[in-house]
Amino acid sequence: MLPVATASAITTTTTPYGSRRPNLVQVGTIVWLSSELMFFAALFAMYFTIRSVSLGQGKPWPDAHLDIPYATANTIILVLSSVTCQFGVWAAEKGQVKKLRFWYIFSFILGAIFVAGQLNEYRVLVEEGVTLASSAYGSVFYLTTGFHGLHVTGGLIAFLFILGRTYAAKRFTHEQATSAIVVSYYWHFVDVVWIGLFATIYIIK
Amino acid sequence: MKIQGWMFVLCGLFFAAVDVVYWFWSKEPTGTAVLAISVGLALMIGYYLLFTARRIGDQPEDSKEADISDGAGELGFFSPHSWWPLFVCLSAALTFFGFAIGMWLFLIGVFATVMSMIGFVFQYYRGNFSH
Repeated sequence: MLPVATASAITTTTTPYGSRRPNLVQVGTIVWLSSELMFFAALFAMYFTIRSVSLGQGKPWPDAHLDIPYATANTIILVLSSVTCQFGVWAAEKGQVKKLRFWYIFSFILGAIFVAGQLNEYRVLVEEGVTLASSAYGSVFYLTTGFHGLHVTGGLIAFLFILGRTYAAKRFTHEQATSAIVVSYYWHFVDVVWIGLFATIYIIK
Repeated sequence: MKIQGWMFVLCGLFFAAVDVVYWFWSKEPTGTAVLAISVGLALMIGYYLLFTARRIGDQPEDSKEADISDGAGELGFFSPHSWWPLFVCLSAALTFFGFAIGMWLFLIGVFATVMSMIGFVFQYYRGNFSH
């Protein structure tokens, strides 16, 4: 028979709080992404400052022939990759590893098309004489879209890592679901930043 | 987590108010754009914390009656020790050094970065830790 003291000790340790805790990886990823947002804020600040200085000096802005329908199509591809990525997250939350793989491979392909499309856009612009060193406009255009392109490339590598993890382990673990979810956070973030960059560079000018 | 969430949301509302004042005072796009992004910085964290709070329910920090021991339990997985971050940093440093030295060193650095990141990401998936 158990002593009474032990029984009362057990009752006092039960807490009114749920056993669920915030996932530190997910919260940490959001905090890190907010700092990434400020990195892009610096790029936007650079864009608007050089734009106002160039316009003040009577220089043309934008100093390049931007193919807006092409860039719009590329943007739609990136937005669609965010949608397919979210389908992957819903699969990961249910532990459906095969669906997760399908949607993440699909998102990877769409993201790769976006990067390839952007490289092709760069090729056309370089042939027209717009380079990183040709003008102030060239510098800000390649720096803003280029840093975004590097982020997309990083996201593509992250997709490969997530896919690699699902193949490397025999079981689909909670940890794998967490890393799949935080990669989706990053991917959505990069997508939203692109919408901001697209609106600034191609629409507002 | 509700209070932490609202703290960030209030920061976001403050930045939004400052942004509106700044725009009407200066009509200057650079600062306005960056302040608008600061609103995003605060609201993103605030929204996420409130969203998480709604999902997981009250935490010990939400109660004035809570004890330190109420927060006990599993917080997450923390690697006890690992050499991989060191190699990732060294190869990233080598990559950026390559910008100053030459393309050949940059490419070696990229290769080293990819290899060390593979080591980092899969360190608990291989050997003794494979599952």
